Amino acid sequence: MTLAAPPRTGGTTNALAGTRGLVRLALRADRFRVLVWALAVGWLVTVSVQAFEGLYATPESRAARARLISSPAATALGGPGFGLEDYTTGAMTANELGLCVMLPVAIMAALAVTRHLRAPEEDGRLELVRSQPVGRDAPVVAGLVAAAVATFAVGAATFAGLLTTSLDPRGSAVLCAAVVVQALVFAAVSAIASQVSGSARGASGLALAAVGAAFVLRAVGDVRGPRSTSVWTWLSPFGWSQATAPYVLDRWWPLLVGLAAAGLATAGAFALVGRRDHGSGLLPERLGRAHGRLASVTGLLWRRQRVPVASWSLAIVLCALLVGLLADGVVEFVDDDPDLARLFPAGAAGAVASVLTLYVVFLAVLAAAYVGTAVGAARSEEVSGRSAALLALPVSRTRWLGAQVGLAALVATASLGVAGLVMGLAAARTLDDPDQVARLLGAAAVTVPGVLVVLGVAVVVLGWAPRAFGLVWAYVAYVGVWSMFGAILPDGTGVASPFTYLPGLPAEPMDWSGAIGVTATAAVLVAFGLAGFRRRDLAA
Amino acid sequence: MTDAIAIDALVKSFGRKRALDGLDLHVATGEVHGFLGPNGAGKSTTIRVLLGLLRPDSGSVRLLGGDPWGDAVALHRRLAYVPGDVTLWPTLTGGESIDLLGRLRGGLDPHRRDDLVERFELDTRVKGRAYSKGNRQKVALVAALAADVELLLMDEPTSGLDPLMEALFQEVVREAAADGRTVLLSSHVLAQVEALAGRVTIIRNGRAAATGTLDDLRGLTRTSVTASVHDLVGAQTALGGLPGVHHLRHDDERVTFEAEATALDAVLSALARAGVRSFVAHPPTLEDLFLREYADELAAARVPEDER
Repeated sequence: MTLAAPPRTGGTTNALAGTRGLVRLALRADRFRVLVWALAVGWLVTVSVQAFEGLYATPESRAARARLISSPAATALGGPGFGLEDYTTGAMTANELGLCVMLPVAIMAALAVTRHLRAPEEDGRLELVRSQPVGRDAPVVAGLVAAAVATFAVGAATFAGLLTTSLDPRGSAVLCAAVVVQALVFAAVSAIASQVSGSARGASGLALAAVGAAFVLRAVGDVRGPRSTSVWTWLSPFGWSQATAPYVLDRWWPLLVGLAAAGLATAGAFALVGRRDHGSGLLPERLGRAHGRLASVTGLLWRRQRVPVASWSLAIVLCALLVGLLADGVVEFVDDDPDLARLFPAGAAGAVASVLTLYVVFLAVLAAAYVGTAVGAARSEEVSGRSAALLALPVSRTRWLGAQVGLAALVATASLGVAGLVMGLAAARTLDDPDQVARLLGAAAVTVPGVLVVLGVAVVVLGWAPRAFGLVWAYVAYVGVWSMFGAILPDGTGVASPFTYLPGLPAEPMDWSGAIGVTATAAVLVAFGLAGFRRRDLAA
Repeated sequence: MTDAIAIDALVKSFGRKRALDGLDLHVATGEVHGFLGPNGAGKSTTIRVLLGLLRPDSGSVRLLGGDPWGDAVALHRRLAYVPGDVTLWPTLTGGESIDLLGRLRGGLDPHRRDDLVERFELDTRVKGRAYSKGNRQKVALVAALAADVELLLMDEPTSGLDPLMEALFQEVVREAAADGRTVLLSSHVLAQVEALAGRVTIIRNGRAAATGTLDDLRGLTRTSVTASVHDLVGAQTALGGLPGVHHLRHDDERVTFEAEATALDAVLSALARAGVRSFVAHPPTLEDLFLREYADELAAARVPEDER
């Protein structure tokens, strides 16, 4: 067995014994995942920078963009705004793209640690491994190394991609290093969360909550003090990485803060490892009810799904709120710039409409990612054998899967409805235009059939090719990338995305036949998937 | 009496692997039927076909008079299932899981539930993720045994239970049988099956290798005899000439052999003539039956003859 390190001859216990074997195992398990992340992030960043170069070729257009992006709402979603006075493509990349890369890479790193540290502990794999001459620190090292390798791979691929653009390699190096360092901090924080929480899910939740808190801290900080001058910014790992001001100041020293924090957090995690038992966390496990009140498949589903449902809905609605508050920035941007105003024949209103259209589709892509996780949860219930326990009762397959699909459809629809309303109310207030409420509610509503098509595709994969469930994520990624970057991708690449066939409200007129056609497609897909699920063998 | 379970020529393949290859299994209503076989013989696959989780490739399967695939929901009201490896919902307590499973079946007897919880010494307030394997198994046992059903499908139900709980399990299964319930007990704990089951089916490579009551199966096999005699050479010569005596061996003072039921009379006369000092004979245990069915595999694995 490759996991086992040779027995130590000295007779002393070594908490790090067997680390090399575990690290190799983790890297082997992650090799495709890392490759996909690195290629996807590297490619998207490169394509985006090329789009910036094409769309904002002149200093005037970049200056106009700088005014738009300096609004508080845009700052909250973007960056500290270095180089706004002379907005080069590099400054634009760091300011607007930087956080879009840092956030997902941070989540990737945090989840890599819990995946290698807590998940195998929960399903018992790690117990077998630890019975070998493997020390208790070894899994922590393996998780951290796996996260670090993935992070470095993404950083290197992004740097390689940026070298093909016109950007200054020195600035690109600073940017990529900044992406890597903040992710390392979150990996170390995740290692601490893995010691504190009693379960793998709890550990992941705690780590993601830390990422969320860091995002809010830097948002508040950047709004209160531009160019990383607020204390709030300096409380956040994102703040440290963004304070490097790539392409503008090219500062390396803020990364030392991040590295120091990562080191401290790692030391903290190692200090805590010895204080907890294998399989439990530092937080005590509470006893629950001796008698249950759950009495239905739906009740059980809600109990299992309420936390993810609440998290996803909240994320979608908060994004909608920020976008709504951003609306007046677009008006100022267009009004201030006569050249740009000519681009939008309908004037500022037309510009606002196109921006809002893009953001509404972005919200729909978030909802599509949620429905992917909802059907994925059904698959993991099946693989774990828990679904067999229910299906051995008088519970039909249609009822079991139908409840999960129904909940996902309902949550996606309701979230987008509330998001449209909130976005409309915020836009109505900032634009002083009450019509926005109905307009944006309608715009959000018309994306729902697109989300339902993604749900249908997921159900079809579950029903007919459950082992290839990764296809669902490939499809979600395709729909997401095409929706956000469709304008700069070759014609015809959007043929399989439902949003190609839906009207882009409010910029485009309503198209009932498209909406009805997509809804019908979604219904057929769901029915076809359910039919497949009814007739196939269950996994466990 | 009708059969609660009637399986004929059942075939189920996973890719190129034939998990069930023409299996026959008949379980009469009201009996406890032992279903024996080593890991991978097809026991779990059979039970999962009976639950309608797997679709049979060919053959006929009737469960409580219905089709397990097509009538799954209606049939499941009348049966309860205990898997060999129980996975619980990590955030639900054991009590919540028991009550949920019971209510989904259409209600469970609260007195029987509480009685079983107490006898199995299960702490129902613990979250699913914090239970040990044995305790997860108890949760599934309580949920199944508290249900008012005609048929219990149990797939190695006591894996992870300690000997005290094993004894309690046998007690509650006897109670269930006394209430007129049918039990299909898949197991490789031979002593458990021997203690509980009226009839037994031994499955091998996806086929029924032997089926019948324990007495039927014993009648087909041999009695093991060890005797020390005064006239060792005479006994050996006499026994060696008898039809139905096998594996005759001797050491300094004892002869050891196996005798078919029909040869026992002649064996006793032959031994008496040689002067018996001590005599040990035992009927074949279920373990002997089981090992006989698998004799060639054991030989392939080079288990010495004496240990068979």
